[in-house]
Amino acid sequence: MSVAAGGGESKIDKTKLMMYGLGGGVLGIYLTHVLNTITGSGYFSFLAGLGVIAAVVMGSDAVRRVCSYGIGTGVPSIGLMAMGMGLVAAWFGLSIGGVAGPIIGIAIAMGFGYFVGLLANRIIKMNIPVMEEVLMTLGGAGAIVLIGLSVVVSGEISYPLIISSVVDTGYIAIIFIAGSLAILHPFNANLGPDETQDRTLVHTISTGALAMFAAGLASLATIGAAGFLTVIIAVIIWIKTFMWYFQLVKRDSSGVVGTGLLPEGGL
Amino acid sequence: MDMVSMGLLAAMGALATVAGASEDLESDVGSQSNPNSQVQLAAQVGHPHRIYNKAISGEPPSNALYAALAAVTASVLMSGYGMNAFFAIAIGAVVAAIFNGIYSVTAYMGRNTSQARFNQYVYLDVLRTHTTTIMAHAYITAFCVVTISYIMTAPWLPIQHPFPMPLVAFIWGLAIGAIGSSTGDVHYGAEREFQAYPFGAGLNAANSGDIVTKGEAGLRSSIDNAWFCARFGGPATGMAFGLTVFLDNWRTTIFDPATQGWLAIATGVVIVILFNVYNRILEIRSKKRYGPYPEYAGDIEA
Repeated sequence: MSVAAGGGESKIDKTKLMMYGLGGGVLGIYLTHVLNTITGSGYFSFLAGLGVIAAVVMGSDAVRRVCSYGIGTGVPSIGLMAMGMGLVAAWFGLSIGGVAGPIIGIAIAMGFGYFVGLLANRIIKMNIPVMEEVLMTLGGAGAIVLIGLSVVVSGEISYPLIISSVVDTGYIAIIFIAGSLAILHPFNANLGPDETQDRTLVHTISTGALAMFAAGLASLATIGAAGFLTVIIAVIIWIKTFMWYFQLVKRDSSGVVGTGLLPEGGL
Repeated sequence: MDMVSMGLLAAMGALATVAGASEDLESDVGSQSNPNSQVQLAAQVGHPHRIYNKAISGEPPSNALYAALAAVTASVLMSGYGMNAFFAIAIGAVVAAIFNGIYSVTAYMGRNTSQARFNQYVYLDVLRTHTTTIMAHAYITAFCVVTISYIMTAPWLPIQHPFPMPLVAFIWGLAIGAIGSSTGDVHYGAEREFQAYPFGAGLNAANSGDIVTKGEAGLRSSIDNAWFCARFGGPATGMAFGLTVFLDNWRTTIFDPATQGWLAIATGVVIVILFNVYNRILEIRSKKRYGPYPEYAGDIEA
């Protein structure tokens, strides 16, 4: 592992994170759809937002694993690539699959990611051992984030509804970019030789909550006042995880000081 | 071309100039984008510092986020709650500035904490004094970019771009980030960070991370860098973005895109060719005036 790019030992296993990410993401999206349809309201949209947070954690851990191979300045690029792969596959899945759309979209995104990983390793010869698996995970995470945040805004899984409430209104812009930054920002912000997995992932939950907040804001215009629930829950999650993150910063840092000159040897 | 279109065009150019300048200064206070790698390296080569380390992806994605968020908030307030455009855009820019502050703070804490083995502290007073400056600049940028997007898309104004406002703002956000990154950062990265080396010396790989960490009095803070960059880097970026917005809209204002689309495209091509010729002349003149560069004659004592 490259010291400059960072990436210490992983305390939480990647398979466990993938399980929670995929399971949580799909569950959140479907629970939102079912409960919103049964109650005829938009109050359960926040569940898709919670699913998105689970998927973002999975994606961020994948970014962390691949970027430990020294792709320092490629962190933002790989995050945006995840969303690019996810966007194409998610929209394809939703357009052909109806209610099964999210699952089809996620599966295609993962296959797409695996294929791009194969191209990177076999044709471009990047020779990064985890490339296929990581891009597969990132494709899946990108698709869940896009579908999840779109369902937060639209309230249910319906291609025409998502097109009219997310794409035609332009809210896709914030879904795309807030989702990308939620995946790429945590590792990018914590990059360095003393990066730790738990700090990066706690940071990921907070950026995921910010993406949920942004989608919640957009949902105020589409599903109305019910969107406030998404916004409030996102703010609570953000406050809690930000405080947790600050504790981890204090734990890992060489010193969190109120003010002062440079340490010994720095002057 | 009627008077209203001319006025709007002038307003958009002016807003873009202000936005470009504030975007560049916002990134300079936080050492974002290209100069960031040197700030990141500094502690690793034995220069711990009190410079803000705001690593939020590149400038284009982060500015796209602020612009899109401000535009979405404004659009929700206008379409869902019937708010006046001016206040809606102002509130949207506040939300964008808050996001900017959150991302900045976490990036500063995270990057400096991950340099623990090199004795890089997390200074809370740096966070307190600098984050507000960064947020203020981000507010101005987001406000101006969203106002430009509003002028381009509002149904009661003549331009009426077919894309929805958040998408137009997203694209302008990407554009302003790209222009700020390529135009203004040079002034901060190459000149300010490496002031100890002779002007125009370039950056030898061996000097990576050897940035100036002391100020005129005391230790250098990133607010000093904003003061320095406000003299040239910021205004140059403002002019670049202002010209981009102005010229791009000017050609579709004088030629109606519906009936004279090809003329507008041809004008765009002519503008690009003229700029290329002008840049070439500028390059040759600078080389004549300041060059030729002397052959390498050993290291010069700085």
